[in-house]
Amino acid sequence: MARLALRNLRRQVRRSVLTAAAMIVGGALLMISLPLGDGTHEDWIDSAVRMGSGHIAIQAPGYQASRKIEDRLSDSARRAAEVGLEAPGLREHIVTVKPQLAVGGLASSPTGARPAQIVGVDPVAEAAFSILDEKVVDGRYLEPDDRLAAYVGSGLAEGLELRLGSRLVLTAQDADGEIAGQLVRVVGIFRSGVPEIDQALIHIPLSTAASWLGSGGDVTTIAVLIDSSRRMPRIRRALRRELAGEIEAGSLTVMGWREAMPELDAAVKIDDLGNYMFQGILFGIIAMGIVNTVLMSVMYRKREFGLLQALGLTPRQTGGLVMVEGLILTTLSGIIGISLGLFITWFFWRDGLDFSFAWDEDWTFSGVVMDPVVIPYFRIARVIQGLVFILIVGVLASLYPAFRATRIDVAEAMKFER
Amino acid sequence: MASAPWWRIGWRNLGRNRRRTLITALGLAIGYFAVVFMVAWAEGLQSEMIENGTGLLTGQLQVHASDYRPERKIYDTIGGRDGADVEGLVRAVAADPAIAAATPRVYAGGLVSSGEATTAGILMGVDPQREPDVSRIMRGLVRGRIPSAGANEIMIGEEMARQLDADVGDELILVAPAADGSLGNDLYTLAGVFRSGLAELDGSYALLPIGSLQTLVALAPNRVHEIAASTTDPWLADEAADRLAGALARLTRDLEVEPWTRLRPEMMEYVRLLEGWYVIVIIIVFAIAVFGVANTMLMATFERRREFAVMLALGTTPWRVTSTVLAEAFSLGLVSLLVGGAVTFPLLVWWHNAPPDLSWLYGDFTMFGALVRPVLRVEYNAEMAVRTAVALLLTAVLASLYPAARAARVPPADTLSGL
Amino acid sequence: MTRTRRLLAAFLLVLVPTAAHGQESARDIIDQVDRILRGESSHGIATMEVVTENWERSITMEVWSLGTEYALVRITAPRSEEGMATLKAGDDIWNYLPRVDRTIKIPASLMMGSWMGSHFTNDDIVKESRLIEDYDIDYSFEGERDGVEVWEFLLTPKPEAAVVWGRIEYQVRKHDLMPTWARYYDEDGELVRTLTFSDFRVMSGRLVPAVMDLRPQDKPGERTKVRYGSLEFDIDIGRSFFSLRALRSVRR
Repeated sequence: MARLALRNLRRQVRRSVLTAAAMIVGGALLMISLPLGDGTHEDWIDSAVRMGSGHIAIQAPGYQASRKIEDRLSDSARRAAEVGLEAPGLREHIVTVKPQLAVGGLASSPTGARPAQIVGVDPVAEAAFSILDEKVVDGRYLEPDDRLAAYVGSGLAEGLELRLGSRLVLTAQDADGEIAGQLVRVVGIFRSGVPEIDQALIHIPLSTAASWLGSGGDVTTIAVLIDSSRRMPRIRRALRRELAGEIEAGSLTVMGWREAMPELDAAVKIDDLGNYMFQGILFGIIAMGIVNTVLMSVMYRKREFGLLQALGLTPRQTGGLVMVEGLILTTLSGIIGISLGLFITWFFWRDGLDFSFAWDEDWTFSGVVMDPVVIPYFRIARVIQGLVFILIVGVLASLYPAFRATRIDVAEAMKFER
Repeated sequence: MASAPWWRIGWRNLGRNRRRTLITALGLAIGYFAVVFMVAWAEGLQSEMIENGTGLLTGQLQVHASDYRPERKIYDTIGGRDGADVEGLVRAVAADPAIAAATPRVYAGGLVSSGEATTAGILMGVDPQREPDVSRIMRGLVRGRIPSAGANEIMIGEEMARQLDADVGDELILVAPAADGSLGNDLYTLAGVFRSGLAELDGSYALLPIGSLQTLVALAPNRVHEIAASTTDPWLADEAADRLAGALARLTRDLEVEPWTRLRPEMMEYVRLLEGWYVIVIIIVFAIAVFGVANTMLMATFERRREFAVMLALGTTPWRVTSTVLAEAFSLGLVSLLVGGAVTFPLLVWWHNAPPDLSWLYGDFTMFGALVRPVLRVEYNAEMAVRTAVALLLTAVLASLYPAARAARVPPADTLSGL
Repeated sequence: MTRTRRLLAAFLLVLVPTAAHGQESARDIIDQVDRILRGESSHGIATMEVVTENWERSITMEVWSLGTEYALVRITAPRSEEGMATLKAGDDIWNYLPRVDRTIKIPASLMMGSWMGSHFTNDDIVKESRLIEDYDIDYSFEGERDGVEVWEFLLTPKPEAAVVWGRIEYQVRKHDLMPTWARYYDEDGELVRTLTFSDFRVMSGRLVPAVMDLRPQDKPGERTKVRYGSLEFDIDIGRSFFSLRALRSVRR
């Protein structure tokens, strides 16, 4: 049957090619837009988790809601978490781990005082993790040997008239609830583009924060960056298993980015929805085209089918033949289209498609600054999704013509010279 | 043969292979639906975001003293220390045709305390009568009621109520540095609690009647910081701002009138982003449509080459043959539009009035300080619908140009003799 | 409140039967001041006048302090604010508002810009460390200025001191160890504010500057002026005095 189908297709080269062409274009478009779409989402998620608390955040229960230093991870909880992260099966997927000790306080200079969010960080881990170090406009980011150094936002620097090297006094309630002051000097000024961050965020070395606040080895968050955002649920599950004891004891919680940033999750889903709708409509149109051409070929070959049936082919088999023809055609063209799409995307845009023609500067989305260059993200799952989708479309489009083929009246068909 | 009007021939030809016509038309109809629907949905998303973002608290347009922003000092009232004719200004703003409603506001930074627990807050003096026409924050009332004008009553967000462990009917103390340097303080009854869904609002804002706040911070009744307004259509805010800047300058000096496009530029960025997508979608859909039509017409003309040969042999001009084909394509376009319209418009009307719920897909979330509900919202865009229709017809005709031209060039003798 | 105690501690040279001071080092002079009021109690009445570009006002207050940990300030004039009081006990701060007859507790993290609308900052008020702990003190001048023999001191912050100033300069009269002025500079050497002392008189057996005038450099015309009406030392009060009840109704 298949051989017959193939031979038939070859004989109707022009028609087959036309039908195939539509499917190829569709397949190609699918495999261009899906990886680019996925790439955009990965980018969003990556930027957001880097600016926030990673794909997975380990914190003391209650910290998420209160954001107070009383709700911090004790030194032992922190060490337990660090051990947990070293477990085989987890370790290879973890890109960076960064500890943070965050406190809300006051930043003062001779000019005045402003409220500030002061975060004690590990300079090396932080630089590897977030992109804040790249947003420097003056000076540099914190370095491992720094002690009394501060990295402040341009809004804060302006408001307190700070320059590189300026004195800055930080005041906050320490671990004992007493007011404590700490001197730091500005070593770098950044601009993130997000006003709330530029006017209030200060990074200082973790060791300095610990000695200032008398909190020892405690931290408020351990943020974890993993290699792929899709793997997060699995890793979170594994981590929760590793740290089951501590979680039960109430000394820490493990949270994924979807819980920490529900708006990001929603934005990705909406975008996907839009993409699916678009694909659906696109293939609807293509399907119509295919139905048409296949139907036409059936009608055109009525005589041939009539002859075949006279020679013994049952109507069902005739229909089956048409189906097989259709299937082969769509599958082949689907594969070609998908491959073409993948190739085009990979060849032209594997290093990124610059979207700056559509929008001209960085803009913030849910507090995260977006990069206009989109790097496609290739996933086997998507290719399979695409293939299956095309197959389904092909089958559905061939159904009606096949049905018509079964209804050919042999006698009538043979009658006309066409 | 008597030359029948070409358009009638075209129409009739369509009917000859009804199935094929219908299927092609269906394809084009889907294309029409796609474009119109996607535009409607994108605009719905935009409007949702803009309306929620600006309609919650900001308003679509704001008037301030020119030095008020960004420091927001309590002394920088409209008209400076001498104040201004607030009612006159509000009336002038509301008089603009693009403005739906306007209301005055006063702001002060201070503390809200239940005695034991104290939290920093932004105190906002509003007119309980007019404010609901400009912003929706008071509609987010979850407990109690809106403060009555002139009374010492306030309304706070859910998060603040939780931090203060306060409920409706409780007494709260407001403390704020006043404009005369003293420390303003007074007792207020918690009249209502609101939930906006935005942590910043629910945890920091306390709303009270404008007169009560003015008394608290020692501001005369003719001193306000802001006049906020809502527009009939967010897209008219820009022109309204320009008009009002001129109109109000006659009443008070040193004013700044800002539409939401300048107050919340990040929203404009998002709008522009979406618009970038329209173009791509439309191009792709039409490319497919062209392809489909060309394909069909090509096959059709090939099929009927004998017929065309006969026509040519009988003396029909090539131009007539061509125009027959074009007419057929045009009719095809019309039929597609009919089908497309029949599907698109009722669906749009239905969804516009009863947006389908998308909460199975995602929950409420915030973007640009706006709470976006999980519904599929669509906006009408008559212009787009018409333009798409015209484009579709044009596409149909253009796509059939090549097949039409070929039809006319069929060599009659060869055709008739054999195939 | 602690402001009183702290400023007095910084500048009050209490060696009223003036001792031989020539041989004392700068550090000793400043430190002696500090140490004398440490652990000591005080009670005074002062008037504060604040002039800003937007308003002018004057308040009169009664102040009690015990060491660095406890202080109570109660406003006695003008009428509209009479009875308003602030209590500092350890790290907690409470405000009593007579107009509404309520007391609110203010977490130290909610400090509002300037203290009572004046040009003194909360940093001036709340910090408890001593000058000699935070600064290195050197003589910068010794001689005559305007016919008076004075010393001038230069205070440079110690490397890790949590203070915002680049340097502070003082001028102190030799014969009675009274400060005449203090100038605060940022690290670029720009003068940010000037504090002047005048009207030296004996109160409760000690010579003190009864008037202190603080002027910011960048806003000419603005100033805060504090005048002491009376001042007593070594009064008989203990920690129990600094209670919430005392906040509401102080009778002394």
